[in-house]
Amino acid sequence: MSDRIFGGIGLILALIFAWQASIIQESFLTDAVGPKTFPYLIAIVMGLASLYFLLKPDPEPDWPRAGRLAEIGFAALVMFAYAQALPELGFLIATAIVAGYLTWRLGSRPVESLIIGVGTSVGIYVIFRLLLGLSLARGPFGL
Amino acid sequence: MTMTPIRGRLAAAVLLACAPLSATAQEFTPETPECIAPANPGGGWDFTCRQVGKSLQDLGLIPSTMQVVNLSGGGGGVAFAEVVNKRNDDDDLIVAASSATATRLAQNAFPGNTMEQVRWIGSVGADYGVIAVADDSEIQTLPELMDAIKEDPTSVAIGGGSAVGGWDHLKVLNTAQKAGIDDVRSVKYIAFAGGGEAVTQLLAGSLQAFTGDLSEARGFVESGDIRVIALLSPERLEGEFSGFPTAREQGIDAVGANWRGFYGPGDMSDEAYDYWVSQIDTLYDSPEWQAIMETNGLAPLDLQGEEFQQFVTDSVQNIEDLSREIGIVQ
Amino acid sequence: MELMSNLADGFAVALTWQNLALALMGCFLGTIMGALPGLGPSNGVAILIPLAFTLGLGATPSLILLTSVYYGAMYGGRISSILLNIPGDEPAMMTCLDGYPMAQQGRAGEALALSGIASFVGAFFATWGLVLLAPQLVKVALLFGPAEYFALFALAFATLGGISSTNQAKSAFAAALGLGLAMIGVDTQTGVPRFTFGEVHLYDGIDFLVAIVGLFALSEVFIFLEHRGTDRDISTKPKMEIGRIVPSWGLIRSCIPTMGRTTVLGFVAGVLPGAGASLGSFISYSMEKRLVDRDGTFGKGDPRGVAAPEAGNNAAAGGALVPMLALGVPGSGTTAVLLAVLLSLNITPGPLLFTQNPDVVWGLIAALFIGNFMLLAMNIPMVGLFTRVLLVPPRILMPIVAMISFVGIYGISGSSFDLMVMVGFGIMGWILRKLDVPLVPVILGTLLGNEMEVNFRRAVNISDGDYSVLISSPLTIMLWTIAAIGFVLPILVGGLVRRRMRMARDAESGVRD
Repeated sequence: MSDRIFGGIGLILALIFAWQASIIQESFLTDAVGPKTFPYLIAIVMGLASLYFLLKPDPEPDWPRAGRLAEIGFAALVMFAYAQALPELGFLIATAIVAGYLTWRLGSRPVESLIIGVGTSVGIYVIFRLLLGLSLARGPFGL
Repeated sequence: MTMTPIRGRLAAAVLLACAPLSATAQEFTPETPECIAPANPGGGWDFTCRQVGKSLQDLGLIPSTMQVVNLSGGGGGVAFAEVVNKRNDDDDLIVAASSATATRLAQNAFPGNTMEQVRWIGSVGADYGVIAVADDSEIQTLPELMDAIKEDPTSVAIGGGSAVGGWDHLKVLNTAQKAGIDDVRSVKYIAFAGGGEAVTQLLAGSLQAFTGDLSEARGFVESGDIRVIALLSPERLEGEFSGFPTAREQGIDAVGANWRGFYGPGDMSDEAYDYWVSQIDTLYDSPEWQAIMETNGLAPLDLQGEEFQQFVTDSVQNIEDLSREIGIVQ
Repeated sequence: MELMSNLADGFAVALTWQNLALALMGCFLGTIMGALPGLGPSNGVAILIPLAFTLGLGATPSLILLTSVYYGAMYGGRISSILLNIPGDEPAMMTCLDGYPMAQQGRAGEALALSGIASFVGAFFATWGLVLLAPQLVKVALLFGPAEYFALFALAFATLGGISSTNQAKSAFAAALGLGLAMIGVDTQTGVPRFTFGEVHLYDGIDFLVAIVGLFALSEVFIFLEHRGTDRDISTKPKMEIGRIVPSWGLIRSCIPTMGRTTVLGFVAGVLPGAGASLGSFISYSMEKRLVDRDGTFGKGDPRGVAAPEAGNNAAAGGALVPMLALGVPGSGTTAVLLAVLLSLNITPGPLLFTQNPDVVWGLIAALFIGNFMLLAMNIPMVGLFTRVLLVPPRILMPIVAMISFVGIYGISGSSFDLMVMVGFGIMGWILRKLDVPLVPVILGTLLGNEMEVNFRRAVNISDGDYSVLISSPLTIMLWTIAAIGFVLPILVGGLVRRRMRMARDAESGVRD
């Protein structure tokens, strides 16, 4: 069943891709092939492949239960939030929080997670900022 | 925007108040000088930042190390938007720019941004355009190449290191236009990821001509693989490049310089602006920088402050006109 | 014997204490950066440019430092591939396929040591190739016009059928997905934005490093989250065994033919600008699988499947220096950065480099040899140290991997947007893995998609819209023939045979990307 749904999604994706390709604003100045041809070819391959497993699905994978799915979804949300918060909170704080959260969700005790989170953050900071000189996000206290 | 004059006046008032206390206080010095390179490390803008930053520090023109921050995306558009939207009154900040920045501004490729939103500080040199052919090509002069295009535009494929509508392409179109080709859109231009790749394909025989910057072409010219048939500078250069004929002297009035320089945030204080203008000016005149220009094949383009602002305005206008004419912008 | 005297001069340049120290430092830092997901050879080199500048190094020492980093990163990428199933950089992607299964079988030490040796073989002979063949190889590069490049990339995609034993339609889907993602951004041929939805951040397209880190590293984190507390939770299982650290001579000997073939193949792929190390390791693996994988052990921990991509990608790294030095054309992202360094050091790479700056070229080549031996000497004893990584419990290790991935991307681009795209890729990677869609074609698609399209369009453009140009030269015909006979035909004809074989084999579960 999963493969059939996936095939359906793939087919829709291919159609959307082709549609998006068709509305590419071509400039007056274009080459013999144009910016649309190659995307159309890709959409065709994608569509055909999707059709194939829509019709001939593989055995069902074992999907995690709803709780686990929520776990993964929430972790992804935390990572999105991290991307947003990084320029505001600065590297050290944001990283400590997210590393701590992930450690906790992967099965460490809360206090332990906090320590590991801070340790991870400081460790990475030392290696990347101080040793390699990368410009990491600076936070409220200049960290 | 309404905040600005008030804050400016306030700053002036504070400065006036302080003036009697310390005579040197009105002189601005950046606490943490920072240069944004609007691309990943290793590119042209990155090197403009790093080289200028290093030279400024070596010459003692800035108090501490220039921090170079890479902010890539949108061909410089992400950095431009960041400066306009978030760091509009940062006095310590300069941003690397080049003809590519002007080209994109002219073609509205930075959505919602215009060149007036920032203050243009100064240039540190220019790379003049060249049009070249393979050494064994029958074409000897620029007019010959243009005639060949006039006769049969499909017979001449010209390669360059920028996208269609980009700087390398515009140079050819401008030249073609000045040479009296009516429909410049018929000129066959093939885009490559960089000048070197285009030259390779010229040598491989896939292309008939190459458009690029002098610095990209010089190695192959010295080795005798390619021949420069036109230099797009107002007059011949001095020194080792003096043998290159300009387009102008061949009767085609086309000039194209890929300049490198800096802009600063739009609400940068006048003190800070003057500071950066004078530091870049001093840097430009130093023998150290002249040596760097020499080694990098940069030609003189000594414009700072108001002059530079005017220069960028003019070049944005020119590119816009040309782009409109050939239909890249409506 | 002018060559030998040149080389001797080179060693005279390279063999100073300062240069040796720089090479050692470069190799060490490079290995680490290669191993960290999110930092590859090109970023590694770029990051260390300021260091070379602040140390006030001259041209030759700077180059020695940076090329050591380059070679070091090529060695280092395999470490995380083998230990964590996360490629440290894009050329090491193929090493996951057999390296990680080996580690799971308790042969992590052997896999690391063997891949170190393969890396050495690839890099060592490629450096000789650079010394002996650079001028001739330039002519090979000139044989490749746009049509030939297009055929070459098409061949690369045709070989996809060979590498994954799963559903071929899923491979094709994955490749199309990768190619589609590569289309995002401003079209380099006409300058119009495609699939950007007006988002400025997408104008430059999607950085394949963002894709690879998201797809491999973050999806791995999600997999761990999914399995925590279940019977498939790795953290509750007995510790993974490390196994013997020095591979037996028999094992090495069995891989010698593989290393030989893939070194040549990788080197040639490296010489072609635009193809680069990723294509080198990819083609090496798939060709080798097609040639020697009679029992279907590739992808299940076959040592030859570890040796092939490593010899291939390190040979390609050496090969990529040929067009960079002799033509001034970067063959890969890393050589593009090195090229910029050369230019800033007042050295113009190109046809005259060998005559104008012989000290730089030969010093560099000597440094490559020295660096290579250093890397071998450093990597084999350190295998034991690397494998300690496996002793860190995943609940601590995985967050570190995730955070390093974020830092690697953010530190380079300074863009929150890239991080969000990366998380998106992480989720996509997890879903694709669940559905048994291979990830390698996705990466290959994003990596080669633009080059493939652009060369297709250049070729047709130059011929004024005549599509027959794509199969007009002997070289294109040859490449298309190899693609058709070697790879497409077996899929069509052999599908039946393989299905029977697959049914006979135990359909082992687990991630085998």
